[in-house]
Amino acid sequence: MTLYRFNLYNGIGFVADEEGRELPDVAAARDEALKAVRGIIADEVLQGRLDLNGRIEVMDGEGPPVITLAFAEAVEIA
Amino acid sequence: MIDHFLAKLRVRDEISPEEEEAIRGMLDPPVEIPADKTIIPAGVELNVSTLLLDGLLCRYKDLRDGSRQISELHVPGDFADLHSFTLKYLDHSVMALTKCRIATVRHDRLKAVIEAHPHLGRMFWFMTNLDAAIHREWVLSLGRRSAISRVAHLFCETRVRLEISGLADRRGYEFGITQADLAECLGLTPVHVNRVLKELREDGLVAFRGGRVHIHDLAGLERIAEFYPAYLYLDKRPR
Repeated sequence: MTLYRFNLYNGIGFVADEEGRELPDVAAARDEALKAVRGIIADEVLQGRLDLNGRIEVMDGEGPPVITLAFAEAVEIA
Repeated sequence: MIDHFLAKLRVRDEISPEEEEAIRGMLDPPVEIPADKTIIPAGVELNVSTLLLDGLLCRYKDLRDGSRQISELHVPGDFADLHSFTLKYLDHSVMALTKCRIATVRHDRLKAVIEAHPHLGRMFWFMTNLDAAIHREWVLSLGRRSAISRVAHLFCETRVRLEISGLADRRGYEFGITQADLAECLGLTPVHVNRVLKELREDGLVAFRGGRVHIHDLAGLERIAEFYPAYLYLDKRPR
């Protein structure tokens, strides 16, 4: 298990993940990031707003992000 | 050892010294439970009920993909699975979110106490009714409250429930759960909870940091939560 931190950059600025989550691998971290982005977008849509400019950066230590997931990548737009 | 439980009962009705003695006499010796341990798995036949002395427990159910919904938190003094006395097994699981101290009560002893002290039987019935009232409020939160109002409501509810036992005041309380646990209570993701916590902090209402809820503006927090504690039945009267 690895401790991944999910740092969020979106409309309300930067939200650092101080707690992190223990997950088996990068694929699991990507699933977690996808769910997170979709959850936030869904909540904003319910308030009548859609901002796809945010991103989540997943860190597994001090180095560069192991995943950068743009909000726009988390949903298919038909 | 049962002070939190007695405090919880005595907010709602008088408890006589004889009744207090009967409660003390029915409990098995306390046991320490490590954090993250499921103490009652769903579906297992039970012949004891669990009183929470210290720490935080939760009731939860999982879906096949691993998603978990916590449906209630239990604070010290909660008779967490009084339900199993009539249900005989639980449809959900009960887990320690923090290190806990619990005491179990054998169902045959519980039966004897209820028969000798019918008023205690009614108070135990009240406790399960109270659990149902809390579940209804959580349904309202999960179904209708916005993310920020959901988080605020959980902080308000927990504050009042802990305050009964002297474990919280207007400024806050120790709350040793993780943001991931909060997310499972609130039907949100941990990242979303983290974002909402930032909003609540920047609005000057509440900060959740280092295992403690720091309340900066209780009235404002209760307003955003639409928190009305009537569903916690805090009035003292014959029951």
